[in-house]
Amino acid sequence: MKIGILSKRTRMLTEKIKLCLENKGHQVTIFTLKDLIINENLLNNDFYILKSKSLFFIYAGYFLEANNISVVPNPRISYSQKNRVHSNFLMKKIGFLRPNIFMGTQKTLREKLETEDFPLILKPIMGSGSRGVKKINSLHELPANNNEILYLENFVEGIHYNVYFIENYICTLIKPPLSNEHVPMDRIETPKDIEDIIKKWRFYHKDNSLFGHFDIVRENNSSKLYCVDVGSFPEFSGINPQVEGFYPAEIISNLILRQIGKI
Amino acid sequence: MKKIGIIIDEYHLKYKVDEFLKYLNSKADVKIYIEESFLLNSSEHRFNEDIFFVKAKGDLILSLVKLIEEESTIPVINSYKGTYLSINRYLNSITLKTAGLPVPEFSLNPKDFDPPFNDYIIKNIIDQDNYAFSPVIIKESEYTRVADKRALDEVNGIKNYGYFYYQKFIDSEWEYKLYGIGEEILCYKQLPVLFNPNKIESRRKIPENKELIEYAYKVMEVMNLKLTSMDFLQSKDNHFYLTDVNCTPNFNYIKNGHKIVADFLLNEIKN
Repeated sequence: MKIGILSKRTRMLTEKIKLCLENKGHQVTIFTLKDLIINENLLNNDFYILKSKSLFFIYAGYFLEANNISVVPNPRISYSQKNRVHSNFLMKKIGFLRPNIFMGTQKTLREKLETEDFPLILKPIMGSGSRGVKKINSLHELPANNNEILYLENFVEGIHYNVYFIENYICTLIKPPLSNEHVPMDRIETPKDIEDIIKKWRFYHKDNSLFGHFDIVRENNSSKLYCVDVGSFPEFSGINPQVEGFYPAEIISNLILRQIGKI
Repeated sequence: MKKIGIIIDEYHLKYKVDEFLKYLNSKADVKIYIEESFLLNSSEHRFNEDIFFVKAKGDLILSLVKLIEEESTIPVINSYKGTYLSINRYLNSITLKTAGLPVPEFSLNPKDFDPPFNDYIIKNIIDQDNYAFSPVIIKESEYTRVADKRALDEVNGIKNYGYFYYQKFIDSEWEYKLYGIGEEILCYKQLPVLFNPNKIESRRKIPENKELIEYAYKVMEVMNLKLTSMDFLQSKDNHFYLTDVNCTPNFNYIKNGHKIVADFLLNEIKN
């Protein structure tokens, strides 16, 4: 088959997935933002892997689906994870606890937020992971940006987990707050309540969430789990193949091919 | 008295809704939510309005509409889906084309790549801010090539997208403007704004055009819009093309537009 990968990068997991698929006899092309032209030329491939969630990759996903070309993961689900407002309501709908959200201009936030609302986390509305994320401890730390709307979430004090899932496999790691998946993390046995969150998520999305990751915080006072972020295609860099006994790229490539077979 | 929530920004409040609010205040209990001074707090959302009317399209507005739709059964005009699709030009082009509506050819390209057609207009990809179409004619060979200044700004700095949305240019004698207000469709034509910036000067009401009206109803259905304006151009071989959909139309250009829209909202509550 002719397979396209929509990805910010050509290295790391993207490169490994490409190699796995090529080793199985498929022809693979990586499209980055430098060379992705979203028009009929994309229809020359049989299906696409939506590795990155940049807006234009998601647009490409919508375009491909409108032209009956399959895209894995589903662009609509990827979008709902990229847009933090969508992501918040989606997680609430599934029944997960979420930190409280505030939105407003800097002036409104300064006028209406109370001291006890802090600390808060400033995040881009469109984004995932830790890019552009900053802890705001007081009103004085709010960025000055005229009438731009700021998006903030309550900072939950507690243990921060990075949780990967690939089908029924779950890998839970403890990480420093607000860090990405590339920092050193401690592997722990997955607690039952975290396992339940992943099961609920996968049940809700049925076949459309084969793998992904969650940022979850166990609040110190209540021990309750707050889902703070979700991603459809992490690098899985916290998984140690020697410890886990498999390479994520290999398993993910097989899952995607199986999914395409079903579609 | 029925309660109506108006979700708006400072610009629209200052320039676009004077008469509308005067009239509406005499008919309903109006509460105004202004984007620039409203604090959205996801844990506090006790709305008691009978209906919401949205007259802006910023990030906070979209989030508030989403919050109301997710947490209550209060109708919102226009819906989150309608507003979101309207401002996302590329997404609405795909959606409308998939639904069988006649949209001009379009392409989304990195800025250094040419589109697959010679005559085109470069438009902004996300039409969310409050400023009017500002055409820049690109003088190049025998083709008609126009860029909206907003689109150039998006690529060259403000948003740093690195991408252009190209829409094939349709050479048309008239621009057809249809307003959809619930079940009512009002049809006008005017000289294309590209060559005649004072659009109202040439605007005139036209008899109902069955083809255009059918397209208008379908756009409203597909995009879940109850209040909209749509722009159509007609090619030399007499085919209509839908070039723009607006979720916050300026109803001041319609005779008694403020009353028509306010009465529509009051009627929606009854329904």
